[in-house]
Formats: sequence, C-alpha cells, structure tokens
Amino acid sequence: MNAATVRWILMGYVLLVFLFILAPILTLVAFSFNVDRFPALPWGGFSLAWYEAVFADETVSTGFRNTMIVAVTTAVVATFIGFATAYVDYRYQFTGKRAYLALASLPPTVPVVILGIANLSFMAAIGLSGTLTAVILGHVVIAAPYAMALIRIRLADLDPAIEPAAWNLGATPWATMGQVIVPFCKPAILSSLAITAAVSFDEFMIAWFVSGIHETLPVRILAMLQGQVSPRINAVGSLVFLVTVALVVVAQIAVFSWRRKRPLAGGGDG
Amino acid sequence: MTDKIDMFAFLSRGIGRRQFLQGAGALGVAAATGLQSERAYAQEKTLNLLSWPGHADPAVVKPFEDKYGVKVVAKEYVGGENMLALVNQSPPGTYDVVLSDAEYVVMLRDGGFIEEMNPADYALDTFFPEFQKFPGHWLDDKLYSLIIRFGYLGIAYRTDALTAEDVASYKILWDEKIKGGVGFFDWYLPSMGCLSCYNGNKSPFDIDAAAFEKLKETVFSLKPQTSAFYSMADTFASLTNGSAKAIPGVGDWITLLLAKDGVPVDATVPAEGGIQWTESMSIMAASEKKDLAKAFIQYMTSAEGQMASALMPAYNASIPSKAGWEKLNADAPAEAKRLRMTFTERNVMDEYKDGKIHIRKTPVQQDIDTWNEVWTEFKSL
Amino acid sequence: MDVTPPKRSRPRIDRFAVFWASPSLVWQVAFFVAPLVVLVWMTFWRVKNFKLEQDFIPDNWIRIFSSGFFYDAFLYTFWMALVAAVLITLIAFPAAYALAFIASPRTRTLAIVALITPFFTSYLVRIYSWQIILAEKGIINGVLGLAGISPVNIIGTSTATMVGYVTLALPLVLLIQLFSLSMVDKRLVEAAYNLGCGPLKTVFKVVVPSARVGLVIGGTFAFLFAFGDYVSPLFLGGSKPPTLSILITDQVKSGNNWPRAAVVAVVMVITLMATLTVMSAVAYRRRGGAR
Repeated sequence: MNAATVRWILMGYVLLVFLFILAPILTLVAFSFNVDRFPALPWGGFSLAWYEAVFADETVSTGFRNTMIVAVTTAVVATFIGFATAYVDYRYQFTGKRAYLALASLPPTVPVVILGIANLSFMAAIGLSGTLTAVILGHVVIAAPYAMALIRIRLADLDPAIEPAAWNLGATPWATMGQVIVPFCKPAILSSLAITAAVSFDEFMIAWFVSGIHETLPVRILAMLQGQVSPRINAVGSLVFLVTVALVVVAQIAVFSWRRKRPLAGGGDG
Repeated sequence: MTDKIDMFAFLSRGIGRRQFLQGAGALGVAAATGLQSERAYAQEKTLNLLSWPGHADPAVVKPFEDKYGVKVVAKEYVGGENMLALVNQSPPGTYDVVLSDAEYVVMLRDGGFIEEMNPADYALDTFFPEFQKFPGHWLDDKLYSLIIRFGYLGIAYRTDALTAEDVASYKILWDEKIKGGVGFFDWYLPSMGCLSCYNGNKSPFDIDAAAFEKLKETVFSLKPQTSAFYSMADTFASLTNGSAKAIPGVGDWITLLLAKDGVPVDATVPAEGGIQWTESMSIMAASEKKDLAKAFIQYMTSAEGQMASALMPAYNASIPSKAGWEKLNADAPAEAKRLRMTFTERNVMDEYKDGKIHIRKTPVQQDIDTWNEVWTEFKSL
Repeated sequence: MDVTPPKRSRPRIDRFAVFWASPSLVWQVAFFVAPLVVLVWMTFWRVKNFKLEQDFIPDNWIRIFSSGFFYDAFLYTFWMALVAAVLITLIAFPAAYALAFIASPRTRTLAIVALITPFFTSYLVRIYSWQIILAEKGIINGVLGLAGISPVNIIGTSTATMVGYVTLALPLVLLIQLFSLSMVDKRLVEAAYNLGCGPLKTVFKVVVPSARVGLVIGGTFAFLFAFGDYVSPLFLGGSKPPTLSILITDQVKSGNNWPRAAVVAVVMVITLMATLTVMSAVAYRRRGGAR
C-alpha cells in the first residue's frame, strides 16, 4: 500500500465522518418539506404546510422572541464578563489566580441538567423562578467561559509591554484600556458576542427547569418533541439552524478580519 | 513592572468595597429590569392554562380567543405527577385554568390549588347522565372540576404485526413474535393499571400487598419483551416507524390519529378489562382572571368547544357532552363515525356500559411513590 | 476559594484591577457556586405531598443509596460515557490526522467551519432527526431493504444512545484534536519517516505522544458530555435503561422530588470533578525518562 492510497483512504474516511456529522441536519431539512405528519419512508410528497404551521403558531413566535431576549442579553453580559476575566488573566499575577481562573472556566464542565435542577431551587429561593431573568442568569454562567477563552486567545497576540509603556508615558489605565486593549480585542469581542448568543440560543435544560411559563424556543422544541409528533419540529429546527449558522458565520467573518489586521500583534512601543 | 498584585487586598482594607458591590449588583439588576415590563404585558391579555400537550391548539381555542380578545397560553406536562410538581413549584397565580386527570383533582383540592365551582354556571344537563356527577369531581357534594374528554386504555398495536384475535388478551404481550416490540408509555399509572387488570384485580388500583407484589412480578416479567419507554410523542412515532408493535396502557388517543394518516394501527380493550382516562378542567384558586377562566371552561363544555376538543389535532378523544355529540354528527358525520360517537351504531358509551372499563385512580392502598419506584426499577432492569 | 491576606497595596492599580477582576468572581459565586451550594443543602430537605419543606434529614441519601436502580444507572452511565470517550477519540483521530497533515489549507478551513456549525445547531432537533434515520421504518432500513437485508431495530438500544453521544461530542473532539495536531512539529514527523519509521510507527511513536494533551482533553470532554446528556438516552435509547440524567428529571417530574434529584446530581458532580482531576493529571503529567 503506497502513500497515495493511504491518503485517499484517509480523505475518504474524513468524508464519511463529515457525512455522519451532517446527516441529521440534512435529514431534518429534507423532512421539513415532507407532507406526512408522522415521518417515515416512503417519502409522502413535497409540502410547505409545516412552515406555514410554524409561522402561524404563536407559541413558536413567542418562544422565538423570548429566546432572542435571553440570547442578546446573555451575549452582552457574558462577553463583558469574559473580557474582564481574560484581561485579568493577561495582565495580573496574583495569589489564588489558579483558583480564580478555575472558577471562571469550570461551568461548562458541569452538565446542564445539574445546573438546571440547582438553578430551579436557587431561583425559587430568591423569587426569580419562572422568569426569563432566571434563564439569563444561568446562561451567562455557562457562556462567559467561552467568551473568556476567545478573548484570551486574542490577547495572547498583544505584547504585554505595550500597556505599561503607555502608563509610563502618563496614560491612565482606563485610557489605555479604551484606546489600546478594547480596539485590539474588537474582532474577538464580536465573535464572542456571536458565539455566546449561539450557546444561549440552543440551551434548553436550564431554561426548561427555570423558565416556567415563559418558554424559550428550545424549550418549546423539547415540549413538542415530548408532546406531539409533528414535522413542525423539522421546520422549526431548519429555521433555528439558519439563525445559528448566521450567528456562526458572523463570528467567522469577525475572526477572519482579525487575522488580516494582524500587524498590531506583537508590535512596537506605545 | 506592576504585574503582581493581590486581588483580595480590598476586602481587608475596606477601600472600594461598597463601589465594588454596587457595580456588581448593578450588572445583575440591569439584566433583570428590561424583563419586568414584558411580564406585565404577558399577564394582561392571556389565559394561562396548565395542560397535557395540544390543548391550546388554535383548532381548539381560536373561537374563544376571538370572542374575548385573549390568547390561551399553555404550559404542557406529561403525567399527573408532573402536573402536581409544576403546580407546586410555580408562584401562585401563574396558571388560571388547570386541565388535570380526574384522579388528581382531589389532590389539587387538598392542596388548596383549585376553587369550588358553581354547577349552575355550566351546561351540565347537556352531558350524558353518567358524567353529570362524575365521582372524583364532586367532593363533599361540592363541584371542583368539569370533565372535558375521556378515552379508554388497553392495547394499541400495529395491525401488520398482530391481529384482533391476538390482542383479545393481554397475554399477547409475552408472545415470542413481538419480543423486543412491546413499548411502554413512560407513566406508571396507566401502564401498571392495565397489567393489574390482566392479573384479574377487580379494582385495578385498589389492591392489597400480595396483589401488588404479584403485579410487580407481572410487570418485571415483561422486561425481555420491551422495546423502549416513550414520552407522549414517541408513543406515536414508535408505532408509526415500527419500533413498537404493541403498547399496553394506551388506546384510541394514539391510534385514531395514526389510522387517519394511514398507519396500520388499532387499539382495543382486551377481555381482562381496560382503564378509562378522564381529563377535567378546574379554576386555579390564585388566578386573577377567574371570570375569564370560567368563560373558558364554559366554552370548553359547550357543544362547539366539545366538538373541537374531540377532534383536537394532538390526540382525539371521546366527549361527555351529548350536545357535543349531536353537533359532531351534524357537522362532521365521518369524524363522528371514526371516533365511534354516532347514535346509530355501537358507540363508546355502549363500551362504557359493558362494565369492562375501570376508571383510573391513583393507588389506594400504596403510596404513589411506591408504584413509581416499581416503575423506575422496571425501567432500570 | 483561596483567600490570602494582603501583602502589598498599590492603590492606583487596585480599583482598576478590582473592577475587571470582580465581575466573573461575583457572577460565578452568585449564580454558579451558590446554586450548587443550595443543591447540596437541598439533599437534606423533605417532600411532603409534593411540597418542599426545609429540614435536615439524611433520608434522601439513604433512599437513593439503598435503591438498586441507582447503582445500575450509575454504572451504566459511567460505562457508556467511558465507551463514548474512547470511541469518539478513536473515530476522530484518523480524521483529525488527515486534516492536519494531508488536507490542503482550504479543505482544512472548510472542515473547521463544517465542524463549528453543528456544534451550535439545535442538538434536540438533530437527535430527533436520528430517530427518523435509525427507526425500523427509517432511512437506513429503507436502504438496507433495497439491498434485501431485513430491517434492524436500533432505536431503544444502547447503540442508538451512543450514536447520539457521538453526534454531540464528535465535532468538538475533532476540533480539539485538530488544534493540538497542528501544533505538532511537522519536521519531527518527516524526520521519523526519513529515519525509516513506517507510517503507523510514526503515528504512534511521534504524533500521538506529541498530541497527547489534546487527545486527553478531547476524550475528557466526550466523557463529560456523554455523562451528563439527557436527550440521547431518552429519545434514542428509549430510557432503557435510564441514565443518571433521566433519573434526575424523573424524580423531579414524578413527585416534585427535588431533594432526591439533588442527591443524584451531587453524586454526578463529585464523579465529574474526580474524573477531571485524574484526566488533567494524565494530560499534564511530566513525560518520564524515555520520551
């Protein structure tokens, strides 16, 4: 077996893996156009009925609105927290830093079902159970670490000597922050806004436990999945897919534009 | 360089501590405020319903919504215990109307969650006599709930796998030819209730320790036959895609819709007997919109609301209102025939009178917990 | 938290530093640590007629630890998560290797985009799609049927659950592996070739050890995801048998029994923290003499 054959086999394997990853997405888009209510082969025929049903379904539009409120708020708050944490990690050495960073990055490792039940009782105790606020509080917890990671990676490209140089020339820390750090991090901040919004947009477990009657869209999907068989799920899924892909594309564009503007990185002398 | 600082210095020095707390608090408050107005709006124009899935479908509630200019918003649950959990964990006033299974009405009353109703407000005299004074709804001679719809539970099965003779007895569930094809609706009450009928218990939910022990054995012996445990939607899906050949503890509510779509399924009540499920509506005691809640239940018990409920897209059911039957037969005779609610042929009321049907109850001699735990154990076997 | 007494004071920097350091600390303590503390506290409460009452009783712990189904669920969940970690690592590695060392930069970029996309696509809906694909009257059996092979029922088995776990974790694991493989010095790989190592030997002697951290982290994430997932074992595995996550939601749904659900949750958190500790030790262990 020569090297070329190995290459072809490996690339074929890659194709298979991607087929597996994309198969459910392709299926969901295809079956959202199937006329049959109970999806199974053979194919029943083409129809837009389920999209019409989705657009007419107010629980879906209400859920979508709730999801947007939660996702946008979460993105802003989580990105701010993530930025602050990344900056602290970049700038300072201090006793307890490891513990501080561990606390800041640990939440995604705890299963959402556990965060859900923990939040359920906690939010009830502080009187927030059944509100979108409760959902946001929980979502920021799991989204902030992603923001921190993205922004920290970006900061790694900024020479740590720049800031102190500016301070020595008389600039206040606040001014340096506003004129050097934040502009440099802008692309990472934008992609972090998109990614944290996407994390919140798809989260259903915490939201399921604490949202009460204010269901977000994924919670609505979970209810549909448990409650009644309907290709509306496929139609909703296809639409959600569109929205999240749009968010991810925005994030990607931000990342690429940052790559192109690289000259600042590692550069000069304040 | 000023790289090394101590983060916690401010705590002992006390400098900036207040600002620090204020700043952090402001963050949380900022996130919280924008939502208050939205909540207030949501409360104005909606009727909040806690129900099994599908009851706020426009096909059912649209006429009511149009007449009163409100939206019916449903929080959906699966299973009576789930309903009680939601009622208990939600702030008072969250829901205006609850659609509960009949056997849980007494627990809702005991918990102080629902209000006494005035029988004169509702068209009870248009109901079949059997349902005018439904046992679980009248407590100490006071009305707490109104029956909206009902159905029978036995075995639902795929007609390409089993015949009508096959399912004349629950015995078929142990048959070699549907090994690995017996599905379960993941709720202990109807599932264990039907198997209790199979064990010959005269009142399937009121059984002594020995009979309960035997029921446990019966349930556990089905494990090798089991395909999976399904939530509500999966029950439909598994019969459609063939993962399940037979499901005990469910009935017409699943198969009527599937059959209409051309899936080869049917449901039956075997010779050993079946269970009746009943969904009823009550007004929540903490509701701030009791008049609207009353109007909604009036609508749901009217001929129009009853017909819409019988044909509810999520799952069909039988209705207790004679007036509803008449409207159904006049407006949609084919549907009336499909749902076995005609006056000329053998209908669901005749089956009721056969005496094979036991009304579903929560366990009498054991705790709900005890039954639930047997079910959890069965799932884990 | 590690709170140490102050050693030096630098007032000019302090307020600025505190402003940036506190949001994460405050938020995670208030809305991450505090709920988990309440969770632990709640394991000692009691539930009476579906109502929660504050108390301090060990009953919930005793009840859960004396139920056979809890041990079964724990072992099953742990085992499935372990299998998922190994399986997903093995599935991902050849693909990550090919993308890192064989594919053109364009293909690689395309692959990264394709990997990020599903990571943020409704997981619920993807699992629902798998139902359509795997069911007895589903797509796979439809294709098998054309080939004259009798249908196999996958839904309701551990295999189906595993398909769900792979769906959940594969993209992320692949990304992590790809990232760590791109850090491997290509000259090292070429040198190994030139010294007469066969391709397989090169992979195992050079590539795998260099990318160890990424492999272990990827596997650990797969474990974490699978261990805590609720959707796959429910909708694909048919709760047969239930995993710990299903046990949690069952306890909440079937009797408002938050305290018992909390016991299960606390056990899960402890298990995960232990796993994380062990795995990070494995990942960052100093390489011993030979390599």
